[in-house]
Amino acid sequence: MRFLSSRWKMRTNFPAMKNKTLLVISREYLTRIQKKSFIIITILMPILFVAMIVLPVLLVTLHEQRQFSRILVVDESEIFINNFEDSKHYEFSYRSGDIEQIKKEAFEQDFDVVLQILDNSQGMKSNIYYKKSLPTGLQSEVEDQMDDIFFNQLLKDSLNIEPSRYENMQRLAKAESATIQIDEQGVEKEHDAEINQIFGMVCGLVIYFIIIMFASQVLRGVLEEKSNRIVEVLISSVRPTQLLIGKIVGIALVGLTQLVIWIALSAAILGGVQLAAPHLFSDEEVETVTNMTSSGDLVPEGAGLSVAPENIFEMIQNYFAISFSAIILCFIFYFVVGYLIYSTLYAATGSVVDHESDSQQYTMPITLPLILSIVFVPSISTNPDGALAFWLSMIPLTSPVTMMVRLPSGVHSWELFLSMGLALGFLVLSIWVSAKIYRIGILNYGKKPSWKTIFKWLREK
Amino acid sequence: MKIIDVEHVTKRFSDFMALDDISLSVPQGSVFGLLGPNGAGKTTLIRILMRISFPDQGRILFKGHPLASEDIYDMGYLPEERGLYKKMKTGEQAIYLAQLKGLEKAEAYKRLRAKFEQFGIMEWWNKPVEELSKGMQQKVQFITTILHKPSFLILDEPFSGFDPINANLLKDEIAQLKKEGTTIVLSTHNMASVEEICDHIALINRSRKILEGDIFEVKNRFKKNIMSVEVSRFSDELLERLDNQQFVVKYGPTNDYYTRFEIKIPDNRTTNEMLQLFMQYSEIHSFNEIMPTMNEIFIEQVENANQLSSHEE
Repeated sequence: MRFLSSRWKMRTNFPAMKNKTLLVISREYLTRIQKKSFIIITILMPILFVAMIVLPVLLVTLHEQRQFSRILVVDESEIFINNFEDSKHYEFSYRSGDIEQIKKEAFEQDFDVVLQILDNSQGMKSNIYYKKSLPTGLQSEVEDQMDDIFFNQLLKDSLNIEPSRYENMQRLAKAESATIQIDEQGVEKEHDAEINQIFGMVCGLVIYFIIIMFASQVLRGVLEEKSNRIVEVLISSVRPTQLLIGKIVGIALVGLTQLVIWIALSAAILGGVQLAAPHLFSDEEVETVTNMTSSGDLVPEGAGLSVAPENIFEMIQNYFAISFSAIILCFIFYFVVGYLIYSTLYAATGSVVDHESDSQQYTMPITLPLILSIVFVPSISTNPDGALAFWLSMIPLTSPVTMMVRLPSGVHSWELFLSMGLALGFLVLSIWVSAKIYRIGILNYGKKPSWKTIFKWLREK
Repeated sequence: MKIIDVEHVTKRFSDFMALDDISLSVPQGSVFGLLGPNGAGKTTLIRILMRISFPDQGRILFKGHPLASEDIYDMGYLPEERGLYKKMKTGEQAIYLAQLKGLEKAEAYKRLRAKFEQFGIMEWWNKPVEELSKGMQQKVQFITTILHKPSFLILDEPFSGFDPINANLLKDEIAQLKKEGTTIVLSTHNMASVEEICDHIALINRSRKILEGDIFEVKNRFKKNIMSVEVSRFSDELLERLDNQQFVVKYGPTNDYYTRFEIKIPDNRTTNEMLQLFMQYSEIHSFNEIMPTMNEIFIEQVENANQLSSHEE
């Protein structure tokens, strides 16, 4: 501190080094969130998300509001006469006679559909005649009712069993099992293994997408500064590491901002929709939609909003092997550490090449583990304690995704801490390596350096 | 008073030697020409001066103390390969760069408005840089280099990309900075501008310094004792006498009226002796000493050095 006396005074009006990192962070952050593409994506995504939930429900509702179908049944088997049940959307009438004649008259008499049930000597066959378009869901409604009616008839005729008795039997014979996990302390806890798997997969996927999206933005940012040649001016004012940290943190903040806006906006829009049209989320509607989309998985979980909100947290809490807050903490940890590892390595890659097209050669060995961790998500979620799951959750390049997949099903705490420790250690290493490569790479134009050359850079002063 | 002392600086990259035991001093307040062929090591030296890169051996003194990280606030650097963020607004970007050099935002804004007015690019303040012509981008870059009023400035090929009018604007600006006491290191291949604005030079070739000094002193050192005499008429005896006294003569008419002689003065003769002959046998119109141009010195010295080193090998 030999310059404390005279030169100190002269220098005090200059910002401290830390402030310059802040300056870089704020530029990286502000220029990105002011971009049109950022604003559009940030606003559009929640709308799309909500639309994905609401549209199916809405479509069906609109459909049904418009369509009340009057069905004229011409039953040649005579099993079904007067056995169809009318509902809000369907009204059944019956007639017998010449089908051609009935068809002609029916459409004039404002029936939407003529249902002709053939003699049942060759099985249960029917024709549905309609004009213009067949109302959605009508065919399955008719078929379902026919199945039931015919089945009940069989029960009665062949086995002499009353349908109501059969229903009782069915209810009695339904097996229900609870899944209970015993943790390390011997405490038993009931939770749903399937939901664990799904939740873990969702967490893993979210981490994967965030890493890919934002770490590659770091790569592009580094490359931009290198290829437009501003970098030499910049590093004559800030140290390369400050520039690098500023960029990585700035982009991380952009990602967080986007995430927060997405969540808040989705919730707000969903809430708004719910307020504006509460009937959309009544049990009945949701059920209709679930039935309509054949497998039921087209409707996101959010559609089941009929659960009282205050119970949701408690409900979630009960599902998992470890506490929900612990999962959230781990998620934040792996999200942050995973992003930092990948973004520092990507930054090094961006500094090495001159054009984005060249970067693949270098990102390949870094990205491959990440892709592998995604490829193995299904097998890990079905076998969260296997050897593959264990090792992938230890390797720092795969652990952010893999550990999040395993976590909701419960992981030994030593495994978790070892994985976290390894990830942190690797992060320190990757920061060191990347800073070295970055410092030299950003000023190195022209010939792409070989791996050997890059290795030499690590030893340079 | 020296503002920069480079002391025995050596820099080795993995496969070659970039700077080999370089020492030189930049006098305070000078315009210092850093010259050398491509790949000689100028950029490496400049980067070491700007603390972008660090020497393997040797050290840099700035105003007498070892160069430290705070010193970069007192330095400005216009690299040869320069650019700006293309999508960022010009004014916003200039403020950012000025802030990185330690200026407060308000102060940066004030000074930038003035400079933008002066350089006639005010209307581009809110336009993204990619809409600016190359010349205007160069102006913005120059402005941001000098905005924090550094006492030491490095300009690497500052004139490239400027048309003659803007090049003059830049020269005036450099002259003004020099008047205000700024020391400027100018790295360029444009020898004409070296003659015009530099007062000191250093010549680097193949990672070694081969020449350094005051520009007048350097020219003096390499002058070849050749005089130029223009005469309106002369007798044939003049040629005979010059030849007798071992003056080497080249001559030819410059136009219808004058003939120009180039005379090399041998070591055992003086300029006065030569002039006496001219006075006797001709009518002298003008007389001056031919000084080598920086261009000639550059080429000669670099070629000499290369021959020497190839003999060594």
